[in-house]
Amino acid sequence: MPYSLFQRMARWAFVPRRRIDRLTLAVAATAGTVILAGCGSPSPALATDASGYHGTMLPAPVEKPAVVLTRMDGTPYDLRAETDGYLTLLFFGYTNCPDVCPVHMAGISAVMAQMTFDETRRMKVVFVTIDPERDTPEKLGPWLAQFDQRFIALTGDSATLHDAQTELGVTPAVKDTTATGATGYAMAHAAQVYAFTSDNLAHMVYPFGTRQKDWADDLPRLVNERWGADSTVAVNAAAMGSPSTSASPGVLR
Amino acid sequence: MTDPAAVQWWCSALGATWNWEWQPYPGVWLFMLLFAAAYWWLARRLTAGADTTRTPWRTVAAVAGVICLWLTLDWPVGKLGAGYLASVHAFQFVMLAMIIPPLLLFGIRPQAVARLAARPRLVRVISVLTVPFPSMIVFTIVMVATHVPSVVDGLMVSQLGSFGLDMAWFLSGLSFWWSLLVPVPARPRFVPLLRIVYLFFGTLAHLFIAMWLLISRYPVYATYELAPPFTGLSPLDDQQVAGGVMLALGSTFILLSVTIVFFRWLGVGAERDEPTAPDGFATR
Repeated sequence: MPYSLFQRMARWAFVPRRRIDRLTLAVAATAGTVILAGCGSPSPALATDASGYHGTMLPAPVEKPAVVLTRMDGTPYDLRAETDGYLTLLFFGYTNCPDVCPVHMAGISAVMAQMTFDETRRMKVVFVTIDPERDTPEKLGPWLAQFDQRFIALTGDSATLHDAQTELGVTPAVKDTTATGATGYAMAHAAQVYAFTSDNLAHMVYPFGTRQKDWADDLPRLVNERWGADSTVAVNAAAMGSPSTSASPGVLR
Repeated sequence: MTDPAAVQWWCSALGATWNWEWQPYPGVWLFMLLFAAAYWWLARRLTAGADTTRTPWRTVAAVAGVICLWLTLDWPVGKLGAGYLASVHAFQFVMLAMIIPPLLLFGIRPQAVARLAARPRLVRVISVLTVPFPSMIVFTIVMVATHVPSVVDGLMVSQLGSFGLDMAWFLSGLSFWWSLLVPVPARPRFVPLLRIVYLFFGTLAHLFIAMWLLISRYPVYATYELAPPFTGLSPLDDQQVAGGVMLALGSTFILLSVTIVFFRWLGVGAERDEPTAPDGFATR
């Protein structure tokens, strides 16, 4: 054995200085390029604003729509009365939706599974179909329950659904027959979740792209913060509302 | 995001609904064509006239390496890994960085390696690119950097970024594994104990990354969390499968490699197809 083990290790570990310099430069340049390329691209994660929330503050708080919708068992559901005082996440979607609706529901569901019972019992997640023709009770109920049994599935006639969306200030959903496929047609609809706090007002919305960790940060706070006239959060939220920070109510997916 | 209807040259995240309709990726084909040609030249032409009848396993490894490389990059694995499933992305990583490079390198016959000595320029380039300690550092840096969420989410949305990621894994893998499998003239032999130490430390980061994916409470990559779902797996389940793939597939392969090195150290199953070394360097 011409060399001792340590001599071998030394020869392996240390290469001529000139070579190391070149290699180090190459490694640093490659790693730097990769990292900068990644960091330079827009991250889908939502930025946190001054309030500390990941949601998008509305210019002015929005009231819950005064509508009576229909549960899957056919009984009426007065949205304002049934969700009074609860943190209510309201979303308009449909079961044939390929991306936005299931991703939103899966995200909220995953985070609720990590929250305490005391927190989750003070919140309601309401999913209102905008495709009542295809979203029959037999279809909508099980579809939503696969995410979370506590989620509330609602439907209604076209006029009621139209009014509910208009009251929120979003563009009512419309059929998109150009995007036909196995499901027949798609629906162009608002992609954001409205978060109504215990004062029954929506101070912010959560657009598509909201990550589970964003929900995990915000939902417990939305449940536990005091909202209303004496709430500093609400005051701050109203003060921060500006066109630049508001969600576009007409975002269609 | 790129128009989903447009032909892509390399797989990237489109944000479009998944379908099983086959898609061509011309960039993958071109890369495979060029790579296979270069590899053929290295593995075969350099052995012209030499007795290669006693190296069937090297032929198997070479063919398997090329086929695996193609299958890992092309549709559907490439497309699924680029924009839909973190588990497939992890599978691609393990294949490109930890399994395909050693297969390809093992596929280079000792006779070809021996004849490389006659090409000093090529030897110099290979020598610089495969110095063990820097190779291990580069391999680790690439492995860690390419699993940072902002890097992954930033790169996967573009074809160039996705191509860069795949190449970073593959090339750093080749550089890392070269020292273990292919001797370089004028470099001391890589003794078995050092090989084991090198393998252990060189692949340590992948264990931490796998564990991180397994224990994270929420999905770490927006690309896969927000991708249109098409399986029953939730994004977190998918991420845990990704960690499992890295642990199960990657670690098993590393353990197998260490075991082989160890038993060869003991003299069991020593390779018998080595040529005599007229130029003074060993081939293992």
